[in-house]
Amino acid sequence: MPTTRAPLASPLESFSDQVLADRAADGDVRAFEVLVRRYGPLMRVYASRVLGSNDEMDDVVQESFITAWQQLPTLDNGAAVKSWLMRIVSRKSVDRIRARRPHVNIDLTDAPTPERHSPDRLAEAESQTEALTRALADIPEDQRRCWMLRELAECSYGEIAEELELPVSTVRGLLARARKTLLQEMEEWR
Amino acid sequence: MTSSDALAGHTFEELSDYLDRDRTPADPSIDGSPECQIALRGMQRLRNTHRALLKKDVERESEREDSWVNSILQHINLEARAGRDIPISHPSPSARLIVTEGAVRGILRAAGDSVPNIIVGRCHLDGDVSVPGAPVIVRVDATVLEGEIIPSLADQLRESVYAALSQHTELAVEAVDITIRDLYQVPAPAPVKASSDE
Repeated sequence: MPTTRAPLASPLESFSDQVLADRAADGDVRAFEVLVRRYGPLMRVYASRVLGSNDEMDDVVQESFITAWQQLPTLDNGAAVKSWLMRIVSRKSVDRIRARRPHVNIDLTDAPTPERHSPDRLAEAESQTEALTRALADIPEDQRRCWMLRELAECSYGEIAEELELPVSTVRGLLARARKTLLQEMEEWR
Repeated sequence: MTSSDALAGHTFEELSDYLDRDRTPADPSIDGSPECQIALRGMQRLRNTHRALLKKDVERESEREDSWVNSILQHINLEARAGRDIPISHPSPSARLIVTEGAVRGILRAAGDSVPNIIVGRCHLDGDVSVPGAPVIVRVDATVLEGEIIPSLADQLRESVYAALSQHTELAVEAVDITIRDLYQVPAPAPVKASSDE
């Protein structure tokens, strides 16, 4: 992946998630920094999608990593650090939305519809991703959270169930409904 | 989309689940049904489109300046990892010198990093380190480069750990237990940010 940043002068960058999480749990700040660089960008994307804007993204991701640093010693399986981090940012993002509008039912809708571009200006592939972004903003919050935990955070059904405090069967149903709706929206755009 | 009758008796939910299980174990009633295949292809297309979108978004975020990384590192609480205080003797009775357990773990990692092809993970000091002269067992987890001779690397690590601890601390090290938890392969280039496939 091309990058404009100077690479870290450290072999740590090539270490596995397990080693980095273990070392960070023991207080190795440089190992933690590699995790921040490795998963921070994905966490930022996640936060911006849930929040519907970039304004609070930096704060949410920073809070997430501060929490992660505090709780890393309790993480049993360092190899699972990615989905663990994603679950933290998911939680922090939702907390932020709830704090923003305490009396609004979060299930209604939260992320604003992104700006639309004129379809004829866009290539097919682009219009597809555009349609997906719009469709994602429109589906109910519980379906979106479920889908994002699955497709962005790569959590297992069990992890999603635990995170959302729902039975696995409900998670399965929400995921299928999210996919069905997203697919319909996307196909209509073709 | 289609109702379940049109999906060879399967529900959309079952197909969604099947996709997430990487279509294993293979179900001939799904694999053999054109309607199911159309639905699965649709879901796969959704996933591919999403991955393309995600890749673009993550790349954009990766190219941003480093200020956010530095801001995070400035805000984490290093004290949280200090652990126990380990006394160090000093000729003056009024002086109290200590080294923290966290610092000793740092010494252990550095000792490990000086040995090629072995990476130190978690480290524990078992024993009452706050009492001078109390016996201490050092437990170190490590990962070894695939193909290396494990006992010989473990010996080198053990020697390096003993040397570093005797140089920087007064711990009465009774044993250094090394657990090789895993093997690693020659480092891959850049870590994958948005994974392409599961």
